[in-house]
Amino acid sequence: MILPGNATVTEPTSITALPAAPLHALEIWANPAKVAARVQKALGFALPAMNHSAANAAITLLRFEPTVWLAEGDVSVLADTLGDDGALTAIGGGIVRFRIAGPGWRELLLEGGVFDTSAAALPVGATAATVIDHVGVRLHVESDDACIAYVPSSYAQSLHHFWDEALSLIGA
Amino acid sequence: MSGPARAPSGDETIPFTFDGTAYRARPGDTLAAALLANGVGLVARSFKYHRPRGIMSAGIEEPNALVTVGTGGRTEPNTRATDVFVYPGLVAKSQNRWPSLSFDVAAIFGLAAPALGAGFYYKTFFGPAKHWMRYEGFIRRAAGLGDAPTEADPDNFSQVAGFCDVLVVGSGPAGLKAALEAAEAGNRVFLVEQDAVPGGSLLRDPDSGLDPAAMIQRIEALGGKVLLRTTASGYWDHNFLTLTQRLVEPGAVPTNGFAQRLWHVRAGRVVLATGLIERPVPFAGNDLPGVMLSQAVRSYIRRWGVVPGQRVVIATNNDDAYLTAAAIIEAGAQVVALLDARASGPAAPAGVTVYHDARPAGATGRKHGLRKVTAVIGGSEQSFDADLLAMSGGFVPVSHLHMQAGGKLVWDEAAQAFIPGETPQVCETIGSAISPPPAPAVAPAGKAKKSFVDFQNDVSLADIDLAWQEGYRSVEHLKRYTTLGMATDQGKTSNMVALARLAEKQGVTVPQAGLTTFRPPFTPVTMGLLAGAGARNAGAHVRRIPLHALHEAHDPIWQPLGYWFRPRAYPVNGENLAQAALREAQTVRTVAGLSDVSTLGKFEVSGPDAAKLLELVCATTVGKLATGRGRYTFMLREDGFVFDDGTVWRLAEDRYLLTSSTGGADRMAGHLSYVRQVLRPDLKCSVVNVQEHYAGIALAGPRARSILAALTGAEPPRHMGYAPGTLAGTPVHVLAASYSGERAFEIHVEASHAEQVWQAIEDATRAEGGAPYGLEAMELLRIEKGHVVVGGEVDGRSTPHDLGLGGMLGKAGGFVGAAGLTRPALSAAGRNNFVGLVSLDGPIPEGGMLITRAGTSPQGHVTAAARRILEGGAIALALLQDGHKRHGEELTVSSPTRGEKARVRVTSPHFYDPAGERYRD
Amino acid sequence: MYEIACPHCGPRAQTEFTYERTVDAVVDPAADAHTAMQALFTRANPMGLDEEIWRHTYGCRAWMVLTRHRVTHVIEAVKAIGPEALA
Repeated sequence: MILPGNATVTEPTSITALPAAPLHALEIWANPAKVAARVQKALGFALPAMNHSAANAAITLLRFEPTVWLAEGDVSVLADTLGDDGALTAIGGGIVRFRIAGPGWRELLLEGGVFDTSAAALPVGATAATVIDHVGVRLHVESDDACIAYVPSSYAQSLHHFWDEALSLIGA
Repeated sequence: MSGPARAPSGDETIPFTFDGTAYRARPGDTLAAALLANGVGLVARSFKYHRPRGIMSAGIEEPNALVTVGTGGRTEPNTRATDVFVYPGLVAKSQNRWPSLSFDVAAIFGLAAPALGAGFYYKTFFGPAKHWMRYEGFIRRAAGLGDAPTEADPDNFSQVAGFCDVLVVGSGPAGLKAALEAAEAGNRVFLVEQDAVPGGSLLRDPDSGLDPAAMIQRIEALGGKVLLRTTASGYWDHNFLTLTQRLVEPGAVPTNGFAQRLWHVRAGRVVLATGLIERPVPFAGNDLPGVMLSQAVRSYIRRWGVVPGQRVVIATNNDDAYLTAAAIIEAGAQVVALLDARASGPAAPAGVTVYHDARPAGATGRKHGLRKVTAVIGGSEQSFDADLLAMSGGFVPVSHLHMQAGGKLVWDEAAQAFIPGETPQVCETIGSAISPPPAPAVAPAGKAKKSFVDFQNDVSLADIDLAWQEGYRSVEHLKRYTTLGMATDQGKTSNMVALARLAEKQGVTVPQAGLTTFRPPFTPVTMGLLAGAGARNAGAHVRRIPLHALHEAHDPIWQPLGYWFRPRAYPVNGENLAQAALREAQTVRTVAGLSDVSTLGKFEVSGPDAAKLLELVCATTVGKLATGRGRYTFMLREDGFVFDDGTVWRLAEDRYLLTSSTGGADRMAGHLSYVRQVLRPDLKCSVVNVQEHYAGIALAGPRARSILAALTGAEPPRHMGYAPGTLAGTPVHVLAASYSGERAFEIHVEASHAEQVWQAIEDATRAEGGAPYGLEAMELLRIEKGHVVVGGEVDGRSTPHDLGLGGMLGKAGGFVGAAGLTRPALSAAGRNNFVGLVSLDGPIPEGGMLITRAGTSPQGHVTAAARRILEGGAIALALLQDGHKRHGEELTVSSPTRGEKARVRVTSPHFYDPAGERYRD
Repeated sequence: MYEIACPHCGPRAQTEFTYERTVDAVVDPAADAHTAMQALFTRANPMGLDEEIWRHTYGCRAWMVLTRHRVTHVIEAVKAIGPEALA
C-alpha cells in the first residue's frame, strides 16, 4: 500500500536532454489522399494516423494534429511530395527533446499531468499532446522503457527541474 | 478524567510537546489519543467565548480540539488533534488563549460572552461608526483561530493525475468489500482512506470475518492502488475527484522534499463508503472537556487503549451507545448511568444501570474532565458524579461528496437523517452512509444558552432561538446570521442538530426546514497543495529566452514580462536603472545598440492562400506586398478595436512572416487558428507558430547598417525590406524594421544557433562604441518616436483612428473587425485620441489624469512618460478626448495617488524624426 | 473538470481545451455591421443544450463543436470542424 514516503518504483529513471534536431511542421491543406500516396512512395511508409508515429532510417513522422505532422530528421525528400497541397516549416529551434527512460517514466509523466500514460492508453509508438504542469508537451513512446518529450524551449529548463524533483517523490 | 487515561506499557517511545510540555506517545497514536493518554483533557479555547474545550471526537469531524502544529514555515494552524498522528519531535500548541490555555484572561473575566451573541457582527453596523471602530478592535482581539504562519513553506507539493475504473472512498467494511470485488472483476481500482490505517469502523468494532490488512493486500496484488492518509476532498463534473494526500504529518519534515500530494482522478465509477458521523446531544455544558461522542469513547478504548473516563454517563437515543457501555466495562471503568431517551432499548451489559425516558440537562466540569452530570429522567432531575459523558444523538450519513457531485438527499424518518438519493453522476453510496441506524428525535433538556450546537463557531441553541425571534426563517439566513456551519468543519457535527431546532421552531419537519449545500473541500486543504509546484515561483514556470545565460553574464537588471524574463538594462560602473537606460538609449541614437527581441510573436504563413488569410487578419493591406518587402500592420477584434500590432513580411512568393506583440503572442496564435480553421477552413495555407524557433536580435542606430553589412558581407535591405543572409556562419533572416526611430534591423536566427550570432553582433557593435540595450531604453526610444504599445496606448478601447493609424486601414475592407469599425460610436466626437505631451515644468507623472484645471473631470490620461533622450525635457504619450484636434493646447497632468502635477502642452506623439528621414541611408 | 471526447484524440481533460464562443456568436467576416454585432452581443443563452466552439489547444489544436447542457454539464455530442473535416 502507498504509505507516506513509500516509493513504488525502485529502479532508476533518467531524464536526458537530447541534442537539437531538425524538426519541421508538415501541414497538408488539400488532397490528403493524394499527398499520402506520394509520401508513401517517397518514404516507403504511410503517413501515420492521428496519435501515431512511423519512421524509416532518415525520418520519423509523428502525428499530433489532424492536418499537421511533426517531421524529425531529413525532410529533403518530403518537399517534392507536397506540391500546392501542403508546406514544411522549420520549428526545431523552439523545441527541446527529452528522453525519459526507465521503469518509472509512465508514473513520472502523471506528475502535474492530466493525461493517462498507462500502456493501455499510450502504447509503444503512440504520440500524444497534453499539458504537464501548465506546459504544453508532446509525447512519443519509443519503447516500453522510454518516452521522448518535446518541450517548448522556453520551458525546457524549468520543466526539467520539475521532473528532477518529482523523481525523488516517485522514488526513481 | 483525572490523571493519565492509559497505563504506560513501555511502548511510549515517541516524544512530542504540547504548549511546551514534553509528553510521550505510542506508535499509531493521534495527537488526541496521546493527549488523553497523558491526562490532558483541556486542549483549546473556543472561538468567541474562550470556553475551555477538550476532545469530542476521534475523527476528522472534530470541532473543538484545534491546535497549531509545526514550527516556522511548516506551521499549520487549526489542525484537528484527532487528525494528526504523533511523530518524534511533534510540536503542538493550543490556540486563541492568552496568556495560557488554563489561565485565559478573556474567559476568566467573561469579556466576550455578553457582546458576541448571534448577529453580533451585523448589529454593530447599525450604531454610529465610532462604535463599530471600538467593537472591531475588540472582536479582532477576542475571536479567532490559530495564527497564519509568517514564514514561507519550505516543502514541495505534488499534483498528480490518476485514472481508474472504480474509485472507492472509505476503507470501512463496505468500502473494503466493494474495492476487493471490483479489483477481482478486473477493474483498475483506487481505494482512498483518510486514516493512516484501513478499516474504518472495524478499528472500533472488529469483525472476525473481515481482516482489513489481508483485504488490502489482495486488492494491491490485483493491481489496485490503496491511498492512506488521503481524503477525497472534492467531487466535480464528469466523475473527476480531487484527493488530498498527506505524505508526512502536518509540521513534519518530509524525507524527499514533498509534504503533500493532490490527486486529480478521473474515475469510471465512484463508490462512496463514507460512513456516518455521530450527532452530539444539546444540553448545558455539552462543550466541556469530558463530553465526548459515544463512538469516539469506544474508539479510544478499543483502538488506542485510552480510557478517557473512569465514571461515565452515557446519553443516547439509539442502540449503538450500548456497545460503548460494553467497551467501558471491558476496559475496567464504570458506567454510572446509561440515559436512553427512548421508552425502551436493548439489553444493557451487566453492571450498567439504564434509565429510559432520560435526557442529559447539564454538566459541570473541572479542568480536564467533568465533575457532575444532571439528567431529566421522566419528569424529574437527577445528578450523577461522573468524569466523562459519552453522547450519541443519532447519526449523520457522510453525504458531502454525493452532494458535491450534484446528488439529491432524501429524508430517513427513522434515523432522523438525510441519506443520499438520486445522483447525476456514475456514483453510488453504500454501507452505513446509505442505511443509518434508527434514532428518534429527542427534545433537548437543559438551558439553551450553554447548549452548544456549532462548537467551533460557538453557536448555541439560544443563538438559533434568537435568530428565529429576530425574524430569520430560512436556513440560509439562519446560517449567515449565526455563522452556524461556517467554521472550518463546515458544520459536520452541528448542521442536523441546528436543523432540528429550526424545524421545531417553525413547527415543520426537518426536510421542510431545508438544508444548506456542502461544498468542497470536505476537510480543509492547505494553500501550498493547491499551488503545487508553483508554490515556489508565483504559480508558473518562468519562460527563458534562448540567450538567457548569455545575458546573465552581463549581470543585467531583469524584468518579468508575462511569463518571460527579459533584460531591462545593463548597468555598468555602478549605474542605476535610469542612468543605464538613458546611456543605452543615447548610444542607440548616436552610434548603435543591440537588444534581445526573441519574445516577439512570430508566425510563418505559407501556401497559395497565405495572403488571403493575412488580409483577413490584418487591418492593413498585405496582398500588394512584394517579395522581400514588409510593412507595419495591426489587427482588430470583431468589434472594431485594435488588439495587437506587428509587422508582416513576404519572405517568398508563397511564404510570409507575421510578427506580433510579446504579451499578445498566445492570443494571436489562437486568433490565427480561429480565423484559419473555423472561419476559412477552405483556404490553402499553413500557419505555424515560430515564436520560439527564432531568436530575435534588434540592431539599431546610425551605424547599424554598416555594422551589419560588415558582418553579413552584403548590403543590408533598405528600410522595411527583407533579405536572407549568413552571419557568423549561420543562416539568418534580416528584417529592416525599426522600433527605436533609428535605421534598424531585426535579425532572426534559429534559436539553437543564436549565441554565436549575438556574440558577433555585440563584438562588432562594441567595436564601434555601441552597447546592448534593454527594455527600459527601448521604452525611452519608442516613446520619443511615438510608437504605440499593446497594453499601453492599445488598451482594448482604441480604434485605428484613435491611434492615428486610420490612414493605413485597408480600403477594400474585408478584414476581421471591418464591420464593427463602422459602428457610429467608433467615429463619434469625444473619443480618446493618441497625443504627445511636452512638459512646461517638471517630470510628467505616468498614469496621471489630464485636466483643464483643478476640480474638473479628467479628459484623458498619460499612458507613458519619458524624457527626450539627447535634448532632455519631459515628454509623454497620452490618450486625450478629441486629442487629434487639440495640439497646442495647455493642460495639467494630475496624479493624486503620487501627489504630482505638471503643466503640459499637447503635441503630435511623434517627437523624434516625424518624417522618418533617419530610415534613409 | 469536464472530460471532453476530442474527435481526434478521444476523451481528454478539460484543462487541455479552451472555450471559444457559442456557435451563434460566430461572425461571418462578410457580414454587415448590424448582423455582425447581433451575433457578437445577442445570445440565445438557453437554459439547456447549447452549441459551443472549443479548441483542443493544448492537445491536437483542432476545433470542435460541443453540444453541452448548460445546467447539468452533460456533453451530448462533439463534432469536428475545420480543414481536417475536408479529408
